[in-house]
Amino acid sequence: MTRRRLPEWFVLLLPAIIVIAAVVLIPLLFSLYSSFTPYKLTRPSTLWKWVGTYNYEKILSDAKFWAAFGRTVLFLTIVLNLELLFGLGIALMMNKVTWGQRTLRTILMFPMMFSPILVGFQFKFIFNDNIGLVNNVLQSMGFNVALPWLVDAKLAMFSIMFAEIWMSTSVFAILILAGLFAMPRDPLEAAKVDGCTPWQSFRHITLPFLMPFIYIAMTIRSLDVARAYDIVQIMTGGGPARRTELLWTLMSRTGYVDARMGLANAMGYVSILLSILFTIYFFRKLSAARAELGMAG
Amino acid sequence: MQKSNFFKGLMACTAMVAVSESALASEWGSFDGVTIEAKLIGGQQYEGLYGRIADWEAATGAKVDIISKKSHFEIDKEIKSDMAAGTTDWCVGSNHSSFAPQYEGLYTDLNDLVPADVVAEFVQGNIGASTVGGELLMLPRAQFDVSVLYYLKSNYEDADKTAAFKAEYGYDLAVPETWEQVKDQSIFFADPPNFYGTQYAGKDEAIVGRFYEMVVAEGGNYLDETKKPIFNSDAGQRALQWFVDLYEAKAVPAGTTSYVWDDLGQGFASGTVALNLDWPGWAGFFNDPESSKAAGNVGVAVQPMGSVTRTGWSGHHGFSVTNDCANKEAAVSLVNFLTSEDSQLAESAGGSLPTRSAVWEANVAAAKAGDDAFRAEALAAFAEGAKYAFAVPPIPEWGESTNIVFPELQAAIVGDKTVKEALDDAAEAVDELMRESGYY
Repeated sequence: MTRRRLPEWFVLLLPAIIVIAAVVLIPLLFSLYSSFTPYKLTRPSTLWKWVGTYNYEKILSDAKFWAAFGRTVLFLTIVLNLELLFGLGIALMMNKVTWGQRTLRTILMFPMMFSPILVGFQFKFIFNDNIGLVNNVLQSMGFNVALPWLVDAKLAMFSIMFAEIWMSTSVFAILILAGLFAMPRDPLEAAKVDGCTPWQSFRHITLPFLMPFIYIAMTIRSLDVARAYDIVQIMTGGGPARRTELLWTLMSRTGYVDARMGLANAMGYVSILLSILFTIYFFRKLSAARAELGMAG
Repeated sequence: MQKSNFFKGLMACTAMVAVSESALASEWGSFDGVTIEAKLIGGQQYEGLYGRIADWEAATGAKVDIISKKSHFEIDKEIKSDMAAGTTDWCVGSNHSSFAPQYEGLYTDLNDLVPADVVAEFVQGNIGASTVGGELLMLPRAQFDVSVLYYLKSNYEDADKTAAFKAEYGYDLAVPETWEQVKDQSIFFADPPNFYGTQYAGKDEAIVGRFYEMVVAEGGNYLDETKKPIFNSDAGQRALQWFVDLYEAKAVPAGTTSYVWDDLGQGFASGTVALNLDWPGWAGFFNDPESSKAAGNVGVAVQPMGSVTRTGWSGHHGFSVTNDCANKEAAVSLVNFLTSEDSQLAESAGGSLPTRSAVWEANVAAAKAGDDAFRAEALAAFAEGAKYAFAVPPIPEWGESTNIVFPELQAAIVGDKTVKEALDDAAEAVDELMRESGYY
């Protein structure tokens, strides 16, 4: 009679499985379970009261949640596209630099080194309507105005987008610059010999080659931006009148300030759909871009 | 001979120290070897009192281990996490009258542990606001808050302004007695973007607290006896209209809806705001030339009236003892010590307001006898203002309801909704919260 032994592959993977279960799976299952309860942090006993899909029904019929959802999609779309444009521009210019490029690359990374909370406070001061830098500059230039940067619906969204873009454009720039470094020179030289204009070279050779890098950056940043919290919380707190309310400011207020963790977790699970959709979309685009370059999809 | 006198003196001193120590020890008890874990509110204005903890340690033989010291909002989140995780065996926690009702079952009823004659020495309004469901959940420290009106005196000393105001509004320009007068004067003084008539907190609990006190001042209330929201009454609409009118007239900074206490304090200290309803902690800051451009020009008056009574939203800090504390007797001794007459005299010397009747009297008498006219003026205003003080409704849902209400108040202020629409929407959502919480 031989003792049954676990398969070797399983034994080898076991430590990783245990760690992943402990830090990812169990909290995930716990939060999923709590989204079906009226769990309040200040009333621990509510964790054991099952209310079925009540929280989900409440969210799905809550106009404020869907407004925050829509605003997050808008925020994500505008920020990602602008970061891509600015990042691409910076990377292309940086690629032309022949002296001091390393220093420039380091300087480029500076905004990413700041804590988002610090960036939030910095831009909150810059855009303050009374004592802020922007309005003071405008006033010293002779414009007798005090623009409500953090109050007006459009200006407030612009201000938080500006801060987010300022902090994270360099992610795009660095990844695209890595793509430019990896790019073979031959096709560009052949295009030059064939008489292509710089725009034609960029449009038909450089850009298709960069697309896989762009989509990777898009995927990473879409997950980041969909979780935008720190900067928005510090600058506007989602206000005024919910004009800048994004999913995570709403969720954190529900979960930690109102202590309604069950409801906040249900919001989290609905909003994960957003991240999944963006990730699937960008991965599909990535595969298509790689296939176009003749790489394995 | 000299040597002998020296030794006699030394022995006499030693005996006196021993007597005073034993008196202290008998007053606060003896808890050799006990360690009390505490979670305290941090920040410059609160730290001075903690310096006295060493005296309590010396008197009782116990040790205090401050395991957390954070701003009140941070410590609130931490305590809620502790309650969720069941890690509530620390002993003493900072508390606040607005937060206390949320921590159901966390803190012990001090009525059973503190003698009634000691409780009677506190201002009874503060004791009432520290009591939830008949349980005394904390003993108040000398950090009582009620707002009074700070104003720039120069605006009332200018003959041209006085004449122009009389011509426009038909009554004499004087420090305002009513909120209607505050509105008139704010619009009159405003010269945006260089100078504003007034300002108000524009988000979070801060604006809801201000709205709440205006509703009360207009004769209404936030909730009725059954905890049903009634702030959308006529009184509520008049109260919110006051905020809207000032915003529309540009008498307040455009960014006021994003302001909370620090922004307001800095705004008035910049000398660009004429009238400012604010807390006692700012008095010294406003009149200090190092920190304020308004220094020397600041007047302090009792808070104005609505159509029925004066505003008076108040709150106070205190200390509580957890139910899970292993040595409640020692913990209560520490809380008694930190809220004692000596501790309150020491803490209120920094400018904060006491919560013990005897300390109020001592401070007012000292200010009158002293040579700091501003301090005497401020303290007299706060002593008068405290008579109209009232706390927020003592229910766990107060904080959550403010998160529902404040975006609606903002919506009316910035013009996204009418006053009635905003208040009706807010009342409907608070009504749902109260139903879910099982009040009716």
